[in-house]
Amino acid sequence: MLKIENLHVRVAGKEILKGLSLDVKAGEVHAIMGPNGAGKSTLGNVLAGREGYEVTQGSVVFEGRNLLDLEPEQRAAEGVFLAFQYPVEIPGVNNTYFLRAALNAQRKHRGEAELDSMQFLKRVREKLAVLHLKDELLHRAVNEGFSGGEKKRNEIFQMALLEPRLAILDETDSGLDIDALKMVADGVNAMRSPERAFLVVTHYQRLLDYIVPDFVHVLADGVIVESGDAGLAHKLEEHGYAWIAERHLPAGAGAGAA
Amino acid sequence: MASVPHERDLLDELGRGDAGARAESWRYSKTALRALSQQDFVAADAQAELPAALLAQFDWPQTRGRRVVLVNGTLSERYSDMAGIGASITAGVSADNVYPIRIDGDVGAPVHVVHASVPSAQASRWRASAEVTIASGRACIIEQHLAAEGAAVFGSLQRRYELAAGTQLDLISLCELPESAALYRLIEARVGAKATLRATHVLLGGRLQRMDLQVDLAGPEARLESRGVFALRGRDHADTQLDVRHLARDTACDIVWRGVADQRARGIFHGAITVAAGADGSDAVLSNKNLLLSPNAEIDTQPVLEIYADEVKAAHGATVGQLDERALFYLRSRGIPLAEARRMMVTAFCSEVLAGVADADLRERLAQRAQAALPTSA
Repeated sequence: MLKIENLHVRVAGKEILKGLSLDVKAGEVHAIMGPNGAGKSTLGNVLAGREGYEVTQGSVVFEGRNLLDLEPEQRAAEGVFLAFQYPVEIPGVNNTYFLRAALNAQRKHRGEAELDSMQFLKRVREKLAVLHLKDELLHRAVNEGFSGGEKKRNEIFQMALLEPRLAILDETDSGLDIDALKMVADGVNAMRSPERAFLVVTHYQRLLDYIVPDFVHVLADGVIVESGDAGLAHKLEEHGYAWIAERHLPAGAGAGAA
Repeated sequence: MASVPHERDLLDELGRGDAGARAESWRYSKTALRALSQQDFVAADAQAELPAALLAQFDWPQTRGRRVVLVNGTLSERYSDMAGIGASITAGVSADNVYPIRIDGDVGAPVHVVHASVPSAQASRWRASAEVTIASGRACIIEQHLAAEGAAVFGSLQRRYELAAGTQLDLISLCELPESAALYRLIEARVGAKATLRATHVLLGGRLQRMDLQVDLAGPEARLESRGVFALRGRDHADTQLDVRHLARDTACDIVWRGVADQRARGIFHGAITVAAGADGSDAVLSNKNLLLSPNAEIDTQPVLEIYADEVKAAHGATVGQLDERALFYLRSRGIPLAEARRMMVTAFCSEVLAGVADADLRERLAQRAQAALPTSA
């Protein structure tokens, strides 16, 4: 589904990803772990098409198409979804209006019929229940005045509504209490299917107790230095990222990134 | 009657007060004013036919029977429809093209005042004055300015509102001009004790659209709520000058204006609030935010606060910025195309100003017009 080869990305003139390769097949859940500054968020942003990320080398192919050629809205319509680490507040733009515009823009792009407001609201109510979000949030502006937990749950709610084929979760667990974390995990687990893949980017192993990944990759200093199964996450939790640095980086390098 | 007014003559005609302040207030609009002063104008034809497209723009079902139409500044019997205007409202025309409207008692539905500008063979000018008295009760006036596409018409309008003690006037003003038309409006309002003026102004288009809004809060507890937005593109030029004077105790003003400029448009907002000596207990709030959608657009904003009284609460702020790139990316990342994402954000930016319009239908109409005034492409 997603094939990343030798990806090099510069941000503000500084090379952040230094030859990252990753192969994600439909139905799989991949966790990307790594210390702060390793390039985890850069990966999510570059896949979603954020400006300011310069790809200097390598390729990203999604469902046979060169993802890097597409505008952010085209990527979304093709089925790529990024759950933001810091969801943006947009005063004055009503949440329901926004969600319907997004869903219908995607459907239009794919040549599907747009949903009328009755069909749309029916779908919304189903998904809200799963995330334990209050109806009232729909009437507010996008993320405006939402608590940290509500913002993160709203990201997963949007994911549930838009039903992407590839969902990238960028530190969705950060700042969540244990109840919110479980709700987020329930939302994700409910969506796992043979047709859908997940890329779960996280700093801590805690989220992976609830969303059990098929593969765990450790990202350090812009490259994946170690891959394994869910057990790798536990090893990391036990030994810390320094353990990875010792194993893979030449002396003197890497320590700064951890 | 052809005339070639020089810039100074035009300033004299449009200006007021002492020469220094008057010229100063035109500082940002000098070029646009000079262009007008160098043009030949004939008197606009008061009997001109209104094209169907223009008629359709103001023939709103909900204001039939309560509509006053002026063609090139002159009251038109033909296009006005005052069948439903009862004894409590009187509208007429007197010498010098001054048409007085007097409203006595609660009149329920709004009165729709339409100023239509239609072109002559040559560039043309009209001048009109109006006096509106709210003698008692509560009234709503919808004022609409429009001009035929390509109309080289320059209108000047003076309007005086007199709000007697305890009255309320809701004034909703939509001014849509093509890039060929110019309009100067001097609006003076005197708000009596415990009276409230709630005004919403939407300014769209025009080669020069200048609006001077001067409000005297003349009696104790008089109140002004001013909402306004300009949305400009092409070479549109809008110049808004607010001048609010607190002249009595416990008066309040609450001013929220927004400006959006795209392409090579130019917008000016000057918001002056003066709290006179003795106007203690006054409360003045002014917020002005502006959005530049193009590197070639320009907006100048200047809030001015002068306080000569004690125990005054006052706050003001003005900003000029661009669309939030983070928010744009957020919308796009959910599948919303760039042009639509920009439109959503611009509409959101203007929505605070229109939120105060109670009539949902009218509010929607204003929002649609404002959106239509901006380029749809990114």
